[in-house]
Amino acid sequence: MEAIYALCVGVLTTCGFFLVLRGRTFTVVMGLTLLSYAVNLFLFASGRLKLDGAAVLGQSAEYSDPLPQALVLTAIVIGFAMTAFVVILAMRSRADQGNDHVDGKIPVQPKKSSASDKRHS
Amino acid sequence: MNLLWVVLLPLIGTIVPLLTERFGRNVCAFSVAILPACSLALVLMYAGDIFNGEALRQTIEWIPAIGLELSFRLDGLSFLFLLLILGIGLLIILYARYYLSAKDSMGTFYAYLILFMTAMVGIVISNNLIQLWLFWELTSISSFLLISFWSHNSDARKGARMALTVTGAGGLALLAGLLMIGNIVGSYDLDTVLNNGDLIRAHATYPILLILVLVGAFTKSAQFPFHFWLPHAMAAPTPVSAYLHSATMVKAGIFLMARFYPVLAGTDLWFMIVSLTGLITLLLGAYIALFKHDLKGLLAYSTISHLGLITLLLGLNSDLAAVAAVFHIINHATFKASLFMAAGIIDHETGSRDMRKLNGLMKYMPHTATLAIVAAMSMAGVPLLNGFLSKEMFFAETLDQSMLGSLSWLIPLLATVGAAFSVAYSLRFIHDVFFNGEPVDLPKTPKEPPRYMKVPVEILVTLCLVVGIFPAYVVGDLLHVASSAVLAHDVPIHNLAIWHGFNIPLLMSFLAMVGGITIYYNRRHLFNFQSQFDEPDAKHIFERVIQSIVNTSQRIIAKLENGSLQRYIFLLLLFTLAMAALPLLDLAQNAGSRPQIPIDGVTITGALLLILSAIATAIWHRRRFLALIFLSVVGLVVSLAFAQFSAPDLALTQLSVEIVTIILLLLALFFLPQSTQKESSNRRLSIDLVVSGLLGCVIGTICFAMLTTPLSTISDFFLANSKTGGGGTNVVNVILVDFRGFDTLGEITVLGIAALGIFKLIAKMRISMPTRDDKGRAWSNDPHPMMFEMVSQSLLPLALLVSVYIFLRGHNVPGGGFIAGLITAVAIIQQYIAHGVQWIKPRVTIDYQWMIAGGILIATATGLGSWIFDKPFLSTWFDYFDLPWIGEFELASAMLFDLGVYLTVVGAVMLILANLGKLTTSERTQIKEND
Amino acid sequence: MQHLPIFPILLPMLAAVFMLLPPLSNSITRHRIFAITVMVTLVITSALLLLTSHQQGIQLYVLGGWQPPFGISLVADRLSTLMVLLTSVLGLGALLYACAGDDNEGMFFHPLFMFQIMGVNGAFLTGDIFNLFVFFEVLLIASYALLIHGGGKQKTKVNVHYVILNLVGSSIFLFALGILYGTLGTLNIADMANKVRLLGENEQALAKAGGLLLLVVFGLKSALLPLHFWLPKTYAAASAPVAALFAIMTKVGIYSILRVHTVVFGADAGALASIAIPWLWPLAILTLIMGAIGVLASPSLRLTVANLVIVSVGTLMVAIAMQREAATSAALYYLIHTTLVTGGLFLLADMIMKQRGKAEDRYVIARKMTHAKVLGIAFFIAALTVLGMPPLSGFVGKILILQATEGMLETAWVWPVILLASLATLIAISRAGTTLFWRTSGESTHNEPLHPLKLMAITLLLSASPLLVILGGPITEYTQLTAAQLHDTTQTVDALLPAGDK
Repeated sequence: MEAIYALCVGVLTTCGFFLVLRGRTFTVVMGLTLLSYAVNLFLFASGRLKLDGAAVLGQSAEYSDPLPQALVLTAIVIGFAMTAFVVILAMRSRADQGNDHVDGKIPVQPKKSSASDKRHS
Repeated sequence: MNLLWVVLLPLIGTIVPLLTERFGRNVCAFSVAILPACSLALVLMYAGDIFNGEALRQTIEWIPAIGLELSFRLDGLSFLFLLLILGIGLLIILYARYYLSAKDSMGTFYAYLILFMTAMVGIVISNNLIQLWLFWELTSISSFLLISFWSHNSDARKGARMALTVTGAGGLALLAGLLMIGNIVGSYDLDTVLNNGDLIRAHATYPILLILVLVGAFTKSAQFPFHFWLPHAMAAPTPVSAYLHSATMVKAGIFLMARFYPVLAGTDLWFMIVSLTGLITLLLGAYIALFKHDLKGLLAYSTISHLGLITLLLGLNSDLAAVAAVFHIINHATFKASLFMAAGIIDHETGSRDMRKLNGLMKYMPHTATLAIVAAMSMAGVPLLNGFLSKEMFFAETLDQSMLGSLSWLIPLLATVGAAFSVAYSLRFIHDVFFNGEPVDLPKTPKEPPRYMKVPVEILVTLCLVVGIFPAYVVGDLLHVASSAVLAHDVPIHNLAIWHGFNIPLLMSFLAMVGGITIYYNRRHLFNFQSQFDEPDAKHIFERVIQSIVNTSQRIIAKLENGSLQRYIFLLLLFTLAMAALPLLDLAQNAGSRPQIPIDGVTITGALLLILSAIATAIWHRRRFLALIFLSVVGLVVSLAFAQFSAPDLALTQLSVEIVTIILLLLALFFLPQSTQKESSNRRLSIDLVVSGLLGCVIGTICFAMLTTPLSTISDFFLANSKTGGGGTNVVNVILVDFRGFDTLGEITVLGIAALGIFKLIAKMRISMPTRDDKGRAWSNDPHPMMFEMVSQSLLPLALLVSVYIFLRGHNVPGGGFIAGLITAVAIIQQYIAHGVQWIKPRVTIDYQWMIAGGILIATATGLGSWIFDKPFLSTWFDYFDLPWIGEFELASAMLFDLGVYLTVVGAVMLILANLGKLTTSERTQIKEND
Repeated sequence: MQHLPIFPILLPMLAAVFMLLPPLSNSITRHRIFAITVMVTLVITSALLLLTSHQQGIQLYVLGGWQPPFGISLVADRLSTLMVLLTSVLGLGALLYACAGDDNEGMFFHPLFMFQIMGVNGAFLTGDIFNLFVFFEVLLIASYALLIHGGGKQKTKVNVHYVILNLVGSSIFLFALGILYGTLGTLNIADMANKVRLLGENEQALAKAGGLLLLVVFGLKSALLPLHFWLPKTYAAASAPVAALFAIMTKVGIYSILRVHTVVFGADAGALASIAIPWLWPLAILTLIMGAIGVLASPSLRLTVANLVIVSVGTLMVAIAMQREAATSAALYYLIHTTLVTGGLFLLADMIMKQRGKAEDRYVIARKMTHAKVLGIAFFIAALTVLGMPPLSGFVGKILILQATEGMLETAWVWPVILLASLATLIAISRAGTTLFWRTSGESTHNEPLHPLKLMAITLLLSASPLLVILGGPITEYTQLTAAQLHDTTQTVDALLPAGDK
């Protein structure tokens, strides 16, 4: 089970980072959202996994670690605030610059490798 | 005795001119002179002690951490320099009074000048290396200000920058050198340092620190190859040239070498570097001086040459050479300063400094001419003038060394050649300017300057004569104490006489004279010979070098800092990868000892769904609507996962956040392109994929390793104290509102700020509302379908009820203010969607901004409440009550705190979405106004 | 006054909240008066707090009465209180300047400003790693909002970069926290320092990854190469008071590195001792070099100042990398100096820009400034300071850092780099100054008087420089004590935990 869980986290992280590396604000936002899922799952995992541990006192003999849950809760809320901000920022950016590229201007000849050279040169 | 005042008086003097400027030039000049004069008087009061060979000291604590203290030491050498600095300084003040024109700001000029004077005084009486360096840098700064005094002219600016850069660089080298000395000796106290000469010379780093210190000295004293800045410093007003660039500042480097002579000198390395540099500078300066048509240019190069001479003397490692050096310092200061002032007068009265135009001035200004001629003769080393004496000593010393082994005879030879050239250019100065026919189209007809403008020159020239004729009486003692201070032991000075009989030095002077006259007589050929090389202009070269440095840096920056976010993130991820991956190499086995949970079908399917939709989101990211759907699926599965692994609170929260986020993204998508073209090349895509893939693997591995290793945490404490201490059975919630309530407070603050920020963003947003999507399909023309309105309206009360319920149970079973808040918000938003802003506006009259603030306020106030009971912030209180019919129920301050959370959440979410919604309506204009 | 340690957080927070509510909301004048009053109070309170912790030892404030390591506790030691005081002073300067009119170019300036201060102070004071994260987010979200204050294409553009980068940074932060909690099972920094020593083989590897990930996060905040590229354009684009306030932001990152990598992964961390240092050394040096190159390349004053920030970051990182008391003390002195003066320079740059018409603050020939004399003097002072030229504070900091390397092999490359960097700065700044003030053509048309508040703000910040030299003795003494305290685990760890829990 742990292995599968870890696998999921890994995949989410990969997709998240991959999207964050793209050139358009909305895509980046989606990437960040995926990333935050990964982060939350990861942070949650720091308390180890329990299948039927109780979160509420007196329901069962063994409990799942409540602290990471609290942390994740905080993380979720903050994540939400941030996502909200960046989404609106994306709109503002498009309104101000007329396109939704993260650099405010569409790189010339996107099909050519220039885009990648731009970064790896 | 109070040496501090020697520095302090001039320092205070810097503000005097700024205050007295308005009272006219005479008052200003006079008032400026007072404080330096006092300082000079103070110094003279110590003359007695000094001539008894004592050294006076005074020390005041300042910044022990860097070994900096106000520490002063007045010995022979300092005394000599103080006389030069303050004495000549006073003459310059008088001279400048007449030199400056009405449109120059006299106050500023004097302020800079006195600041410089202070700095020089500081250097020569420092008894602490750091303090010495401090004043050293101050001279560079003040000279920068003085050179650029006529800041409107570009030469002045460039010259000043060049001087500052060169001397500043030297200053840094010097600092390094001094710090190394301090490290070796273990103290920055000059006395201590001077007593540890052997220690320093024996130390492994001696060569390095020697070079560093010498670089400092050479840059300041315009020694080859750093000499090029001095001629360009001549863009300064002539009083400055006379004071800084002949008499004092350029001597600071010489002073430095003299000061550290007991510590650094006496080694072959010292001889090699110092004497050879001196020799080259001597010859170079003398040679170039001859070809300068500009009066000040000639004097500048001759200054370089004479500084070279002094340096050479100091390099010879012999006592008498050092004495000669000190003697020449005095002589050069006197005749060169007077020559500069004379040049200034000529410039002032004729409007030109070009020797091709200046001729036959003897007729027009006989008085000035006479003075200048005497001074020039002294420069040439004519007998009965002070220049002659030190030059004789110099010749004698060049003969009396064997440093170059069998080649030692070269030094006297070259010395004579140099002397010959100095005779030549002195001759040119005299003949070209004052005789040699009539002036050629000068701007003004030359005349004698104002009476008092000549006084300083007269005084100095008199000195040249007096010293030249009665050396022993006039400067004997001074020379003695000064050189004793340099050598750190007593030196007898026997050769202070005009006549030593017929000897080689005399012969050398004679040869120099004859040679000089011959050179000057045949100057035509020389000039022709020289004219075939185009003389390199240091200023242009320097500026070009600087410019190329700047251009290179700009190229580098443009290449690295190219404004592409994708690259910046890529670098960030690479760095992250390195940081996270490398430690894992030490990870022996990633499966820990913790027993693993067996796999079951449900989870498998969930995991599969999650993975697939995540990948789908990544693949179809350019078809945004589709991607968004997959994204929401991922979100749902994640919340299910939380539920599965016994975290109901998380599940609930994740779910409600999910909903709001998706609504938000949909709204945004309405304004953004719904799909985009492929932009990234496959190469780039694959590289990105590799990096993010690797990161995924690393994170996954860490996650697995973490999950499978047992852990003992502080959480047992929370489980134990939740009910008893926090008054709640839902431990997570109790942690949120009690154990770690402070986090939650911060968290809702973040939410609130985000809302404000978003409001700010929206307020200035000028976005056009699309009527149709990318594919050209028009958006629905019926924004608020009847059916939907009915349903949502009837849903509202139910939703609110649910949220109240969730809120109340929060403390003991999953739920709580945050989730409740989100549910409420969603319910209200639904109304917005259903009915539109216009319909809501009159009905919902809550100011969300106040709601946020109120929420945070309540939460904080709850925390502050505990102060009443003298408990720390956020200490909670709870108790159980028993009411008839209702039964036992609990009241906890935590609930109030949770209420704050609730309000903030509702307020924030509404502020965001409602205003975003407004963008789709005519309301936009309104928002603009209230910004 | 037992509650003193939490004042620097609550005061600005409540101030912000009240400014959002009637009667203060919607009246810029009331906002200004209120904000300035609060700021002044904050300065006084921070000073008090500093004195208290200086004289009576570390002040531990246990929130909710939940003793460490379980609850969150604030730690007001010499270092944190120093940083808080620094923030308040800088904040006051920036605020005064803003009140001259910049605050009215957009909404919510004052509340956001206060929230920002709250976040920064919180980050300095908290003794809990997750709480540190929360306050990071507070100050970040506030900075996002402040960065677009005033509006305009450029601001939006840089904000997109700034926000996205930092969001990625935040998720990395959370990964790191997950790892650290997952291995150490605690969040209290002092307690972490204890637990780190007791880790087994496997956990060590994990914890190391966690610690290094934190370095990434803090590096991003403090603009450590290669994570610094966002800084110059961002700071240059921000409106003057915001840029001035941001002068403290990089220091938050630096502070966090000092905390975490000196206390938790410090010299006593057993197998995990000073894990960050091998990375910090080269990166610090490179940052310094890049900063110097940036300064040389900058075409406008604001960019120059922004690049000077990077130079200072590099210098500070070099000092931190030395991991010895003397160096830390030097770093702290330098930090005070650079923060305040950079702040002042950002404000000054703005004033200069406003007076040069179309040329703004670019290094091109332009018409004369109306108030060239006043601004010139201010610029001259600031310039000498950043150049590290005597008699202003820069040189003390420089010498302290150079001296701190005594007996280290690194001296061989630290000295040249630092000295050459100052030479580069000298060249750049002298060109800048001569161009801005002396390469003029035609008289100025702009003839509004200098706003007294603006002058006050700049004077306040720049006066720090001479004061740091005149009071150099006591201040360096304090920084030395601070460094000693930071490097002494019995004070930074054991003292903060109940005796039973070791």
